[in-house]
Amino acid sequence: MENLEDLKILAEQWSHQGIEYLQKIPPTQLYVAIGVLLLTTILFLLSIRLFRRTKSNTVLLSGLSGSGKTVLFYQLRDGSSHQGTVTSMEPNEGTFILHSEKAKKGKIKPVHLVDVPGHSRLRPKLEEFLPQAAAIVFVVDALEFLPNCRAASEYLYDILTNANVVKKKIPVLLCCNKTDKLTAHTKEFIRKQMEKEIEKLRASRSAISTADIANDFTIGIEGEVFSFSHCYNKVIVAEASGLNGETVQVQDFIREYIKP
Amino acid sequence: MLEQLLIFTRGGLILWTCKEIGNALKGSPIDTLIRSCLLEERSGDVSFNYDAHGAAYTLKWTFHNDLGLVFVAVYQRILHLLYVDDLLSVVKQSFSEIYDPKRMAYDDFDETFRQLRKEAEARAEELRKTKQVVGKPVSSVKKQGQVSKAGLEGGNKKMSEGGSKKDDGDGNKAKVGNLTNGHSNGNHRMEDDSQKTDLANGKENTTDNVALDLSKLQKLRSKGVRGRGGIRKADSIGNKGSKVTAAEPAKKATKKNRVWDDAAPKKEKLDFTDSVDENGSNDHVDIAAADQGESMMDKEEVFSSDSESEDDDEPGSDEKPEAKKKGWFSSVFQSITGKANLERTDLEQPLKALKERLMTKNVAEEIAGKLCESVEASLEGKKLASFTRISSTVQGAMEDALIRILTPTRSIDILRDVHAAKEQRRPYVVVFVGVNGVGKSTNLAKVAYWLLQHKVSVMMAACDTFRSGAVEQLRTHARRLQVPIFEKGYEKDPAVVAKEAIQEATRNGSDVVLVDTAGRMQDNEPLMRALSKLINLNNPDLVLFVGEALVGNEAVDQLSKFNQKLSDLSTSGNTRLIDGILLTKFDTIDDKVGAALSMVYISGAPVMFVGCGQSYPDLKKLNVKAIVKTLLK
Repeated sequence: MENLEDLKILAEQWSHQGIEYLQKIPPTQLYVAIGVLLLTTILFLLSIRLFRRTKSNTVLLSGLSGSGKTVLFYQLRDGSSHQGTVTSMEPNEGTFILHSEKAKKGKIKPVHLVDVPGHSRLRPKLEEFLPQAAAIVFVVDALEFLPNCRAASEYLYDILTNANVVKKKIPVLLCCNKTDKLTAHTKEFIRKQMEKEIEKLRASRSAISTADIANDFTIGIEGEVFSFSHCYNKVIVAEASGLNGETVQVQDFIREYIKP
Repeated sequence: MLEQLLIFTRGGLILWTCKEIGNALKGSPIDTLIRSCLLEERSGDVSFNYDAHGAAYTLKWTFHNDLGLVFVAVYQRILHLLYVDDLLSVVKQSFSEIYDPKRMAYDDFDETFRQLRKEAEARAEELRKTKQVVGKPVSSVKKQGQVSKAGLEGGNKKMSEGGSKKDDGDGNKAKVGNLTNGHSNGNHRMEDDSQKTDLANGKENTTDNVALDLSKLQKLRSKGVRGRGGIRKADSIGNKGSKVTAAEPAKKATKKNRVWDDAAPKKEKLDFTDSVDENGSNDHVDIAAADQGESMMDKEEVFSSDSESEDDDEPGSDEKPEAKKKGWFSSVFQSITGKANLERTDLEQPLKALKERLMTKNVAEEIAGKLCESVEASLEGKKLASFTRISSTVQGAMEDALIRILTPTRSIDILRDVHAAKEQRRPYVVVFVGVNGVGKSTNLAKVAYWLLQHKVSVMMAACDTFRSGAVEQLRTHARRLQVPIFEKGYEKDPAVVAKEAIQEATRNGSDVVLVDTAGRMQDNEPLMRALSKLINLNNPDLVLFVGEALVGNEAVDQLSKFNQKLSDLSTSGNTRLIDGILLTKFDTIDDKVGAALSMVYISGAPVMFVGCGQSYPDLKKLNVKAIVKTLLK
């Protein structure tokens, strides 16, 4: 009991001392001290967040409007395209374990999948996500390929010459969607056509003026016909069918770069 | 009837469609709506018309911004469905209650929707009837028939439903409800008879019938309307608190005003009776309004408007002093936790400030207004994130919207197109159009200079056969740049000159033909006709509108009239509109860059070049980010 009383007295003394000490300090200094303390904690929290981001598990789904990105997104997440989709106005984001891996046991690293709208007005959105991306899936409509070939190639060219993609060597999967349809083009055909288009773009995109820095890098080897193998990053071609849920190649690609 | 009703997320996943309607839509009206209306910052509009594949639909939509949901109703244009707005808002309300981001199928909503639709139809039905009788006593049999058809299907059921709901309210209202119920039933029966007899007879019958109704209904009108108010009240009481109910009918009333503009005088009365239900202060408003109409003196007008606004803001004014009392601490607290939901009143002030700022940057007033409406539509009901203020949220939304507008939808890589044309062994033809004195010839020369630098062979065509000295001016440019020029002197048809120029270019292997045209005011019919002929005859690859960056409100008029005339006067099937914009005199305007925004918004065409100086190299691409920054500075 005495021990406790002693302690009590000691504590009282300390608190007295503390209060006295506090009263000695001018209030401005006190506020500054509190401010500094708060600032450091906030900075600490922020740095933790930033630190986490460096270990990216983000996969971007990009491509023209109507190529089937949103369907693919839901196929990968839920294994179903639900009741169909319409043109997206905002990105779809989700961190999840791929649907096909749900049955597997053990801890699997979830994937942060972002479906960026393909409408040309929403293109700038892609740039927001590119710094975090670990891999990009570029979806192409294999059914209605030829009318969209040029636009798709331009979009892909912009991605391939983006500073983030080039510097970090973000791998790109050229995913030919809608291959369940009979009249869909083969992936080889699509690859060749897009290489041809990019070759033409390479010639014409020699900076119009310094006012707009759209493309930071040039791709391909000077004096040679462009091929995807010339890119700084890896470009793979694959087939998929969002409607039927045949997305094995896409899943393999994702899991190759985001290890489970 | 309603063709389809969809609920989907802003991300693009369809959550629910009305299965029982079930007819497949022709074409893809929803995608078209999103692409050409909602993404073009036109979501402040009332409705969207879709014409393609032999279908003529009207689409109406509403957003639930907090949950990120979009509700779209599609119906045939020829049917003026009056209940769609009402239906959308009730569907929105009840769907947002069951919505869960994790859930993907909402089969149980079918039943709720059926109910809501019936109620909405009943409300519209009743309103139409009162309107028909009071507003237009004599109407065609066809219309009446339509009403009776729609009514008879579910008329009795609906009414009895309504009746039972009214029983929840006080006895008086229920009584009135029954009265209207009986009356409308009788009406239908008579209509049915009249349909059985031949047409002429039917017409007589209906007019008699309507006349009878007129007397009956005028007596009943105020009561009937009150009865309807009762239904609404009962509806919403079930869902939300009484505070919300007070606000809800007011909202609906304003929406309805928009729809029935042909019943203008009656509308006010409807509103008047409605608000009698809500609070007794209504008489006051009426007097105030009368005051405003009669007196011309400033003092009284100011006074009356003051009192009116006080009355209008009744629910708001209760909260305001409270908010003031809460003071600094609560506002800080609110900014940390994030405000519940943004309301229209919260957004009014920052949007007004933003609109004024845009207008000082020379954005056309109309455009600034539309943009603000669209931003308002995208923010209303949204949750404010923590550590943000409303003004910064609004500014962020506006920035997004501006970037979206100014980002070109078509490729602006002309060199790529030139190479494509080269492969097809034909020259790439660019026509420069615009009003007088904006710098068409000067910038044509700049474009020629730029093309020459990229090793493209250029030919100029002097098709300004109108203004004296124009051909000589172009010839001077051609000489300095050492490019061939095609000219046929004055007093020639410019369309023919252009055609010959293109033939000449094909012969001598020029890659690009730059066609200079006479400057013309957008209202000058004969000159516009000539321009339309030139474009239709030659089918150029690019119609470039040259516009000054100096213009303000005029920009809208110029571009819309040019586009209008080009589409009106075109003879062939495929109309050519303006494909791109060349903005000149950009170096003279400092930070008043609004013309770029106005022009792009009104035409949907991208700014392909910006002229920014006197010498040949002074041609730039538009830097979207810099423009947006300047606009919001």
